[in-house]
Amino acid sequence: MAVPRIIVSGLGFITSIGNDRTAVTDSLRHLRSGIERHDFFPGHKLPVKVLGTLKGFDTAALQWAGWKWPAGYQFQPEALRGMAPHGLYALCAVEQAVADARLQPADLTSSETGLFCASAGSPRLTRHYLNQIHDSNGERIPPMGVVSTIAGTLNFNLAAHLGVRGAVAGFVSACASSTLALGYAHDEIRLGRLSRVLVVGGEDLNADAIYPFQGMRALSRNPDPAKASRPFDRQRDGFVGTGGAVALVLEEAGSALARGAPIYAEMLGWGQSADGQSISGSDPTGRGLALAMQRAMQASGVGPADIDYVNAHATSTPAGDASEAHALRAVFSDTGAQPCVSSTKALTGHGLSLSGVMETGFCALSLAEGLIPGAANLENPDPACAGLNLPRETLAASPRTILKNSSGFGGSNVCVVLRRWNN
Amino acid sequence: MINSVEAQKCIRETLVGFPPRVISAYHTFAEGGDAANLDIVVLGVLHFYLAKKPAEPLDALPGTTRLVEDLGCDSLTMMDTIFMVETLFKVRIDDAELIQLTTLDELRLHLRRLVKESGPAAA
Repeated sequence: MAVPRIIVSGLGFITSIGNDRTAVTDSLRHLRSGIERHDFFPGHKLPVKVLGTLKGFDTAALQWAGWKWPAGYQFQPEALRGMAPHGLYALCAVEQAVADARLQPADLTSSETGLFCASAGSPRLTRHYLNQIHDSNGERIPPMGVVSTIAGTLNFNLAAHLGVRGAVAGFVSACASSTLALGYAHDEIRLGRLSRVLVVGGEDLNADAIYPFQGMRALSRNPDPAKASRPFDRQRDGFVGTGGAVALVLEEAGSALARGAPIYAEMLGWGQSADGQSISGSDPTGRGLALAMQRAMQASGVGPADIDYVNAHATSTPAGDASEAHALRAVFSDTGAQPCVSSTKALTGHGLSLSGVMETGFCALSLAEGLIPGAANLENPDPACAGLNLPRETLAASPRTILKNSSGFGGSNVCVVLRRWNN
Repeated sequence: MINSVEAQKCIRETLVGFPPRVISAYHTFAEGGDAANLDIVVLGVLHFYLAKKPAEPLDALPGTTRLVEDLGCDSLTMMDTIFMVETLFKVRIDDAELIQLTTLDELRLHLRRLVKESGPAAA
């Protein structure tokens, strides 16, 4: 039996740089940032003043009934009642991706369709519900206190809402989670167990989700939205938080072609590794990430010289970016390859477990639209980047093959390889 | 007391998104305490949380309509409804009582009794 070719046939974006494919593409092309000054607690003493904000949403209310979202989406209470804010964002992104891929309701409820999700859950709602329980001496326990808050909340809610029957799973590897979801989705399709998987990542974007990272001094203290997130720059001092949701339809090419769906990219393969060192920090040598890149390329049947662009994980933290730079040099520079490298987190901020599928979506757009996103906000590259090709502006190029890197707490490294579709 | 300023603010926030008829019935009940408005609120809350809305309003359905079998009321829907009703009327429904509520009439009548027993604090 022929090995199926696996492609991206649908994309949906709720991100700081745009709430649909067109807006996101435009932002990538013109390096338009989604980062703004933002105070969660006006007057607070925390030195974090910027955020990759979402536009057109208001999820400040603790109850979903008080949320607002852009015109054009209509959701019934039963779709929202068990959700955290990132569930709302995910509903919007899924609606876009499903329409984009020309999927019908029967396609979604087919036993051939799976749903893989990634999110960190909702710390804010967790706090709210636990406070209710404690304040009432345990007498008042909100019914949705579990399903709307824990890390599986996206898969619980979306599977029920969409009627998914093929498979449903959640992935919890911090900032590598949704890339891992893509990898296992790819395997399920390749093994013939499923025809398609809807891969969704989402994050809440509020103080409870972002500020705890200040406890490990991982957030940028730079108050300038144009400079706070500057991956690979000498002056970088931490990441800028963001949230939202992205949905990506990954499927066997034949079924997409039969529906006349667009094909943004082919996913050739993926690889992963573990650093085996730290709870949160990357291996300073970059060995783990280098291994994941090599495995992804090997599984995809390509080598370093075939890669035209690397969408780096680089979040703008001093240690993480240096580690990735070492890994990139080992895999590419040391073998004579010089792909373009950039981290689009300079524009979006760091979407945590959302970031992998979000940036893979950007890579799919890069292949389909013929562009290579530039390294925004990069003025003085870290010496660790010596020899890396870091274009400052977006290039009107036609990349053929792209490598997407992700790393997460616990030393998780996951990489995927995408190629321009050629039937 | 649900008539206090603070309580009313809390109730306003709690009822965000509910149909105007339910909100209006709630406030009318708070002022007059009549059972008809209590019924409108209780069934309105249940209707709000039902995943599949029935073709007819709940108060037009027979009182013998079964919550699970006829309306598709799952455990989360039931608990959402009870939690909201408890919040609105400052009453408590025990687990043992809850499993006895299987029809619209049983739900309505049980809430009427609880609210009446709770007296001024509930109304």
